[in-house]
Amino acid sequence: MTYAKNFVKNFNYKKFLVENSALVTLVLLLIIATAIQGSAFFNINNFVNILFNNAIVGIIALGMTIIIIAGGIDLSVGSAAALTGLFTITTINHTGSITLGVLAAFATGIFMGLFNGVLVAHFRVPAFIATLGAMQIFRSMSLYFWDGGGISLGRIGGTPIEHDVLSFLAFSNTRLFQGDLLQRGLPLPIFYWIALTIIMAIVCKKTALGRHIYAIGSNERAANLSAVKVKRVKIFVFMISGALMAFAALVEASRLGSMNAATSGGFYELQAIAAVVIGGTAMSGGRGKPVGTFFGMLTLGVINNVMNQMGLSSFLVGTIQGSIVIIAVLFQMTMSRKEKKF
Amino acid sequence: MEFAVEMKGIKKSFDENYVLKEVDFAVEKGSIHALLGENGAGKSTLMNILGNVLRKDDGKIFICGEEGNPKLIEEKVAFIHQELSLVNDLNIFENLYLGKEISKGFLLDTKTMSARAKEVFGRMGVDINPYTMVSDLNPSYKQMTEIARALLKNAQIIIMDEPTTSLTDVETELIFGVMKALRAEGISLIFISHKLNEVLQVCDSYTVLRDGELVASGKVEDGLEEKDLSTHMVGSEVNTEGIYRPRDVGRIIFEIKNMSKDREYKNVSLHLKKGEILGVTGLLGDGRTELFASVYGVNAPYEGKVIIEGKEVKMSSASTAMKNKIAYVPKNRKENGIISDLNIKENLVLSIMQKISQVGFLKNSVVEGITNDYKSKLDIKLSSLNNMITSLSGGNQQKVVLSKALCTKPSVVILDNPTQGVDVGAKMEIYRQIVSLAEQGYSFIILSNEIPELQRTCDRVYVMFQGELRREFSRDEMTEENIMLIATGGKI
Repeated sequence: MTYAKNFVKNFNYKKFLVENSALVTLVLLLIIATAIQGSAFFNINNFVNILFNNAIVGIIALGMTIIIIAGGIDLSVGSAAALTGLFTITTINHTGSITLGVLAAFATGIFMGLFNGVLVAHFRVPAFIATLGAMQIFRSMSLYFWDGGGISLGRIGGTPIEHDVLSFLAFSNTRLFQGDLLQRGLPLPIFYWIALTIIMAIVCKKTALGRHIYAIGSNERAANLSAVKVKRVKIFVFMISGALMAFAALVEASRLGSMNAATSGGFYELQAIAAVVIGGTAMSGGRGKPVGTFFGMLTLGVINNVMNQMGLSSFLVGTIQGSIVIIAVLFQMTMSRKEKKF
Repeated sequence: MEFAVEMKGIKKSFDENYVLKEVDFAVEKGSIHALLGENGAGKSTLMNILGNVLRKDDGKIFICGEEGNPKLIEEKVAFIHQELSLVNDLNIFENLYLGKEISKGFLLDTKTMSARAKEVFGRMGVDINPYTMVSDLNPSYKQMTEIARALLKNAQIIIMDEPTTSLTDVETELIFGVMKALRAEGISLIFISHKLNEVLQVCDSYTVLRDGELVASGKVEDGLEEKDLSTHMVGSEVNTEGIYRPRDVGRIIFEIKNMSKDREYKNVSLHLKKGEILGVTGLLGDGRTELFASVYGVNAPYEGKVIIEGKEVKMSSASTAMKNKIAYVPKNRKENGIISDLNIKENLVLSIMQKISQVGFLKNSVVEGITNDYKSKLDIKLSSLNNMITSLSGGNQQKVVLSKALCTKPSVVILDNPTQGVDVGAKMEIYRQIVSLAEQGYSFIILSNEIPELQRTCDRVYVMFQGELRREFSRDEMTEENIMLIATGGKI
């Protein structure tokens, strides 16, 4: 009893709020959504939908998290995902090998990360500029090589092809535990997303690389003087993010069975950054958590879902999501200011 | 007696911690008053209350005889913080008039502003072109620009928070000249400093705080010694004797031969023996920081040779230096030493994280083992290894940074300004530890502009002047006079 009392007395609610702002926001939002929509919102199948619909950007946002913690940013992930997805499907169609397609995806993703990483770490181009350029390059290359159009799995130039490559669709569309409770089961991407979130959380918290990422984002000079291999770590961060982006592109390509050079991956980078920010990661680097990003992404997803259910114009979704991003940052800033002064 | 400032019974607490317990503080009009105390004694809090940055819980403030209110304080009191608040990309008068520019119609009246700026500097006895960019000013002139800003708003009381920490002795003299000129005008100055010799040199009176209480105050008179003040500050007599212990030094393990870098240092050669403590000193622009940054691999490229254990090594990065058993504690702890978003143990093992991790994973028991080891070795005072590094006092932070260097198992440790922003008690402790580590076979190179610091620890001292190594002094030759003579470009 006294223990509980002491706990309540000593509980630093400010610190808790600052560190878990994403979770708190999400819980508040869940309560509001339930109040408005009742069981139409608060049921397991709807939750599965929300998780499924946000898994792709959610995985990309994990990579964005470590880039931002390291003091950078990556605007190219959306177009990179489009280019990777297009390249993957094309490879599968032409070779008939899903393995080769998957390898192609990771090779592309990691290479694109290397490209950004070398620009930022070695040539010291500001991350915003380097990845802005990369964003345009990747998008333009997609449009050029795929003629501004799209590509579908199992077809070359509109005609069905001979080899059986459609089993690639199972990667995203397999559903587990289908039953009375889970009417449409649990699609695999949900597991991918959760598993990758846990892996990234462990990498951030428990590995030398993870701690070096925080050190660099917080004070690059001091990290460099402490013999942390700053360049190498930064390049690594972009490459890990590239690999995560490739994974997300695979999920997207497999989910739909097609990619479009003009529209695929559109605004993914902005949604990912929004999720990271709502998740409590500081844009200045040095602070943040992958798990926060997970909840940040869900926050965006829940808003989208509820507005859909309420029949509100989808044009308004951006207004609400944008406001939440701004409020999240304002909240973090006022809280950390107070923390500092006292 | 006329007082510029009278603070009576000031109380302040943060949450449940009392930071000030009924402190009285008074400054005579037209005097320089020293406010002394170790880190955490409550000096900053008291001055922040006087400067209207913090609110007091209880007590009374009188400014020039009038009961203090925010408006009056704003008018009469100027607070020059340790971190100067100047805009580097603007010139002097633009900085002085920042936010209260004088304009003629739509255009700025640069003529009036620059003329008045020149006039204010004239009052301080300094002749300077007000069009000079602040980025081109050396630290003492930046300090003077801050003072000029205070004068411009007609402040009667100027609080200076450790103005001399980043200054060389010559620059310090300049600032003291300015302070004396202002005193003659009837302006009162409050001088917060850790450097007791400066207090004796320039101040008229002093107040010492310890643990939020007033422990002593009085006039600076003949017969008052540094020891008296430091005794008040730490509560017991500081023992400065017996820090240095003579010991046998070994063979030469580290050498620099003819090192040069354009506009930084020229043709420097020196050597270091095993177990030796070597000092390198000089005034601003002597190039010692740049030289040893090159030695540590973070200021490449350079000409000349670094020879470790008889073999030349190209120092191209900090990790090369670490591999060759050279460790480095940079100056300016806040910018270069600590990672404020990491906790104490992570800061301490940062350099060796990769080495101690298993398949990339850091084992908590290993990290805590190493941290606890250094905690007891260097007597670091902390309540939990998991606390943020910023929760520690300056001295303890510095010990963590020193531990970070030591845990790489170096044979040569380069310390740049190792006791910057560290209070007297902790300073002596750090000196003792350096000497005892040298007895265990570590070799040290201490870069410092505090001559007493070198006298207390070093076996030999090299003095640099404008990038050149001018002279070597043995322990019995390293008097303040000798060193200053060479450091200012003179010859013996």
